[in-house]
Amino acid sequence: MTRYVVKRFLLLIPTLLVVAILIFVLIRIVPGDVVELRLVSGGMFVTKGVVEAERARLGLDKPIWNQFADWMLGLVRLDFGTSMWTGAPISHEIAIRLELSLQLAIMSTLIAVALALPLGTIAALRRGTWIDFVVQFFSVAGLATPSFWLGILLILFLLTYFHWLPPLTFTPLWQDPKANLVQLIWPALAVGYRYSAVTTRMTRSALLEVLREDYVRTAWSKGLAERTIVRRHALRNAMLPVVTVIGLEFAFLIGGLVVTEQVFNLNGIGKLFVDAISRRDYTLIQGLMLFVAAGYLLVNFVIDLLYARLDPRISYG
Amino acid sequence: MATTIPLPTVAGFRRQRWLARFVRRYPMGVAGGVVIIVMAVTAALATWLAPSDPLRTDFLAMFVPPGANHLLGTDAFGRDVLSRVIFGARTALLVGFSASFGGATVGAIIGVISAYFGGTMDLIIQRLADILISFPIIILALVIVAILGSGAFNLIVAIALSFVPRIELVVRASALGIRRTAYVEAARAIGAGHWRIIFRHMVPNVVAPYLVMLTSFLGQAILLEASLSFLGLGVTEPTPAWGLMLSGAAVDFVQRAPWMAIFPGLAITFTVLAFNVLGDSLRDALDPRLRT
Repeated sequence: MTRYVVKRFLLLIPTLLVVAILIFVLIRIVPGDVVELRLVSGGMFVTKGVVEAERARLGLDKPIWNQFADWMLGLVRLDFGTSMWTGAPISHEIAIRLELSLQLAIMSTLIAVALALPLGTIAALRRGTWIDFVVQFFSVAGLATPSFWLGILLILFLLTYFHWLPPLTFTPLWQDPKANLVQLIWPALAVGYRYSAVTTRMTRSALLEVLREDYVRTAWSKGLAERTIVRRHALRNAMLPVVTVIGLEFAFLIGGLVVTEQVFNLNGIGKLFVDAISRRDYTLIQGLMLFVAAGYLLVNFVIDLLYARLDPRISYG
Repeated sequence: MATTIPLPTVAGFRRQRWLARFVRRYPMGVAGGVVIIVMAVTAALATWLAPSDPLRTDFLAMFVPPGANHLLGTDAFGRDVLSRVIFGARTALLVGFSASFGGATVGAIIGVISAYFGGTMDLIIQRLADILISFPIIILALVIVAILGSGAFNLIVAIALSFVPRIELVVRASALGIRRTAYVEAARAIGAGHWRIIFRHMVPNVVAPYLVMLTSFLGQAILLEASLSFLGLGVTEPTPAWGLMLSGAAVDFVQRAPWMAIFPGLAITFTVLAFNVLGDSLRDALDPRLRT
């Protein structure tokens, strides 16, 4: 087991290397020069000297292999480089926002799971009834509703009925837990509803499949109560695909945060991404992409390990 | 739309019968299809249907609540919200359809070619696709927008490109199975060239996964367009687009003029819902193995 874990973990490194190469190439595919494009798109009047100076500052005057080597050497030392816009180290830019986004991601996932598991279960148990229909509609609607629009509606609701607007500055959890939760619950709800949709559907279909199994019929014929059958026999065996979906959704949450943080004016990773894109801060985009990819790979790694815990038949001996 | 679906499975079963069965078995999907057709007609006839010019500003009639003159009210510039929602359907459908068709077609062709030739090229393409799908679609689309620049055309390209690896993997998996079939063997035996085999024998047989992915892309594309426009990185003012209508003043004045935020959002939700429901039904009917 330990051997497998170490091997699997070490395999993440070449994968990330390929990701890094891909991102590096992708950014440099740009027709023309990154610096020129960036300065001109800002609508500024720039002289050749300014462009040259900026190029030298970013090391873009060096040969491309050199640039890549520089970036890689930095990455080995966990140095993601500096932002083209603020000049601050990218690892710092990410670190100061990570707490907020991570907390928001965890809260959204909790909300999504809290919605999805009971809803998916009841829909599967009452298959074909109006309950099933309502749950399915609720989840399909979740996929169709833009989370930023849901966020706007939530703000409207809060303003109208409570004359309350989520505060503009972020209060960390350890400083004032109540203020922090009150602030983040709304964006978490907007993101969580959307992300509950896929998990609800997965729970429903996985459970339906398990309910057809022989051992469930045996449990019924033994005269066990429905509760026991569902909890001990069906749900446990249906959890594997559900856990996968929850994990992948968690890894993909950054996509939901990108728009939702904007609506609620939260200064997190998602907003940083959007700012980096609109400022064409290519070094920051590079760093963030690598960060997102690393997060995804890490979550996948954890899911793999969870499998062995959830299903004793799977072992990584 | 449904009448143009090529028959994917058993030979000899007829188009009308297939459609009739689809209507009977998937009423929700049909409802979705009807909504889409109504939307498409509305978008096409927008010039005649919209009560006023979606770009005409009227500073004497800003933030007018819904009423007889303006059924859905007016926005911060006194523009008629209903007209902008109607014209917004054009933007949404145009971006949605072209991005989905473009992305799905390019991705499917790459998938078939990759499966057909196999070898190192296949391996490299698969690794690339694996990596690209480890980014959420919106992140991929945002980065491509950053590289290409904003604007409607680049937005379409960005959304299309972010779909490519997703359909590529699915179509490749189907194509791998077809590569080993007797009729491909036979085609090769009578001396058909690579491209003839790919386009005459393999491509027509991956139509089912192609259509299923395509319909699921349509809803996503419209949602993506709305999100990117909302972030100010997609369609730009003054073009009427639903996502754009939800940004800026709609948020700032949400309490004073909630209709500015409510109606464009409803339009997005209804449209995406219609596409998704239709897509789910088509998937169940065409290729139940792709069920998630």
